[in-house]
Amino acid sequence: MKLSTSSDAYCLLPDSMTQKNFLDTLKSEFIIKQLDNVREKFSILENFEWTLYKERLLAIRHENHSISLWNEDSLLDTESAQHIDDLNATSRFWWDFPACAATEQLKPLLKLRSLEPIYEGVLKTEQINLQNNEGKILVFCQLISIYKPERPRTPIMRQIRISPVTGYTAEKDRAIELIKSLGGFEPSLTPLDSLLGSLGVTPRAYSVKPQITISPETPSRRAASQIISTMIDKQRLTEPGIIKDIDTEFLHHYRVAIRMVRAAIAQLKEVFPAQDVVSLKQRFGDLARETNLLRDLDVFIMDKQRYMDLLPESMRNDLTPMFDDFQKNRQTEAKRISQWINSKAYKDEINDLESLFSPGYSAMETQWSEKPSIELSIRKIQKTYKKIYKAAIKITHETPDTDIHKIRIDCKKLRYLLYFFGSQFNKKKIKIVSKHLKSLQDTLGIFNDLTVQGDFLKNYLYQLEHKTEKDVMLIAALGGLISILYIMQKQERQKSIIELAVFSNNANRLLFKDTFIHSPKQKENA
Amino acid sequence: MKIVASYSIKGGVGKTAASVNLAYASAKAGNETLLIDLDPQGASSFYFRLNSGKKEKKGYFFTKKNRLLKQIKGSNYKKLDILPANLSFRNVDIMLNSMGKSKTRLKELLFSLKNEYDLIILDCPPNLNLLSENVFNAVDMLLVPVIPTTLSERTYEQLLTFFAKNGYKKKIIRPFFSMAQSKNKLHHNTIKEMEQRHPEFLKSVVSLSVEIERMGLHREPVLAYASKKSPVKSYRTLFNEVVAIMAKK
Repeated sequence: MKLSTSSDAYCLLPDSMTQKNFLDTLKSEFIIKQLDNVREKFSILENFEWTLYKERLLAIRHENHSISLWNEDSLLDTESAQHIDDLNATSRFWWDFPACAATEQLKPLLKLRSLEPIYEGVLKTEQINLQNNEGKILVFCQLISIYKPERPRTPIMRQIRISPVTGYTAEKDRAIELIKSLGGFEPSLTPLDSLLGSLGVTPRAYSVKPQITISPETPSRRAASQIISTMIDKQRLTEPGIIKDIDTEFLHHYRVAIRMVRAAIAQLKEVFPAQDVVSLKQRFGDLARETNLLRDLDVFIMDKQRYMDLLPESMRNDLTPMFDDFQKNRQTEAKRISQWINSKAYKDEINDLESLFSPGYSAMETQWSEKPSIELSIRKIQKTYKKIYKAAIKITHETPDTDIHKIRIDCKKLRYLLYFFGSQFNKKKIKIVSKHLKSLQDTLGIFNDLTVQGDFLKNYLYQLEHKTEKDVMLIAALGGLISILYIMQKQERQKSIIELAVFSNNANRLLFKDTFIHSPKQKENA
Repeated sequence: MKIVASYSIKGGVGKTAASVNLAYASAKAGNETLLIDLDPQGASSFYFRLNSGKKEKKGYFFTKKNRLLKQIKGSNYKKLDILPANLSFRNVDIMLNSMGKSKTRLKELLFSLKNEYDLIILDCPPNLNLLSENVFNAVDMLLVPVIPTTLSERTYEQLLTFFAKNGYKKKIIRPFFSMAQSKNKLHHNTIKEMEQRHPEFLKSVVSLSVEIERMGLHREPVLAYASKKSPVKSYRTLFNEVVAIMAKK
């Protein structure tokens, strides 16, 4: 039906309309042909970041565990669904799914996220076609009813989709008129929002990035509290996912959130009393350190194939015992972390920390605590950039790795400052600055990761008891891997030096000078 | 977009049954498909429960794209549209004669639908006239049902001769055996001989079948109501073969 001038129409049916009522009214002008009546248990699937919803997609899992995927314009239409079949109840990640078009579509949306049920109910789909005396279909109708499992007779939502047949627009319009005469109404929201809304499902607006707006006049301490409080909220949102060990992104985001809290405390330390800063750093640091091992293991296991591919083919399988070890350790560690986050001790600690910053940190005034936050943000951003700039122009091929790592840490601090206070400056300029910074950070990040991974493998090597031939081969493989990582690290170092030179050039220096200023123009952007 | 015509100089050889079922198979395979019923008798339209279109002023078909689009009707199947037969097609030949570029009018018209459809199937009337030549110029494949009898063989060879004389590309012609009876010795021998002489014959053979003949009662493509019967399945094989050949081009 390529040439239809109008697209599908949707009507929600009121609770007061009975099925008989509905059919009788349509029968007054059409011959009704009822086909395909399917009723089954189903669940709506989504991941923690609602990336399917953001792409206007709907995924449901059927009773037989298979998954159907729809675009918003053909929601729940049996014929236009994409299917992922041959699944079992435990298939939750895209890599658990057989290769097919739908899997390909989900892959970039899910990344490392797990598809979880967010609504469970019973779905009834009825195809009701409106025909003429010749048996020619004039209008396609599909009635969708959703029930709660515990109330199988009373639908909590009924929606009819009316699809026009090319050349029969008048008949479609008449069918809509008849349905409206019974109290049917067109939803004011889009089909996906209307569906979720009538089921009482609210999409979660979550992003690990801070997205904070702080007005320039806000006192510095209040601004810092707002930043920290926002990040603690995000950290806490990830806790249930870590406890259930749903996917590795929960822990990753938990750590990112804490890292930003720690950065805020360290970077904006002038707004808090000095002795408080020491204790806060310690307390948040403890939370982060507790999860170090699990994150390291997650990262290694995730990259298993990449490591294998680095070695000559004959040596690849020699690494398997190590990854088996990692997997085993991960199980133990994940369980420990789950229990830890679920423990009273942890909850007491995080509740206490949370209450310190919400509604605002209360303590003795400091020299900076009441000054407008714009003064603090300009000072901090300029200072951090100067620090990076000064270190970067001194870099030579002889500079020790540790110095490059220090610059990386300062870059991260700068990036976080831009997250926290970006709303106070010119949007366009901030975007350019962030782009430059991201490019530099990416390179420095790879350089750092390679160093960390090499060290992790070395530590693992020291612990090995090499008795059997298998162990010896594993050791040889590890030796190979460590050397490759070292070579890659050296290459990345070279790239880092180039990136640093770019970042500290005159144009960039002027950009920073020009962007982070207190001028009336900022208000236009605010 | 590809265009296939189901065509034969001879009537009653299974052109319409082939058009209708190929169109159905194509839509089922996910292609946006348009079946154009060029035969004023309107058998294709009848099978899809459509009445013939309103009689239009002479020449409408080849002139006004928008009016043509208005005549297109959705079928009972998703992705399958029909342009019903029109009584004014009877005079198409006379009308075409009076127009310039008369042998490529159809091609131009169908080309204007290239964004709308993946496949257009033309169910042609049994003639060899100016409309037929418009079809020859427009299509990627001329699918010719041939009943394995001596008379049909002669008609098929007449078509080849016509193509050679008038400079049409012979390679667009793809015949297939239609209404074949496996127990009929004459049919059997004719198939063997013709396949040798004409390697362009498709491998799919559509047998004579009661199920197919019942299409008039069902008013549906036979693939829609008896898709598992083996003579019926051959339409799906035929469709796959057609697609495979066009993909190679």
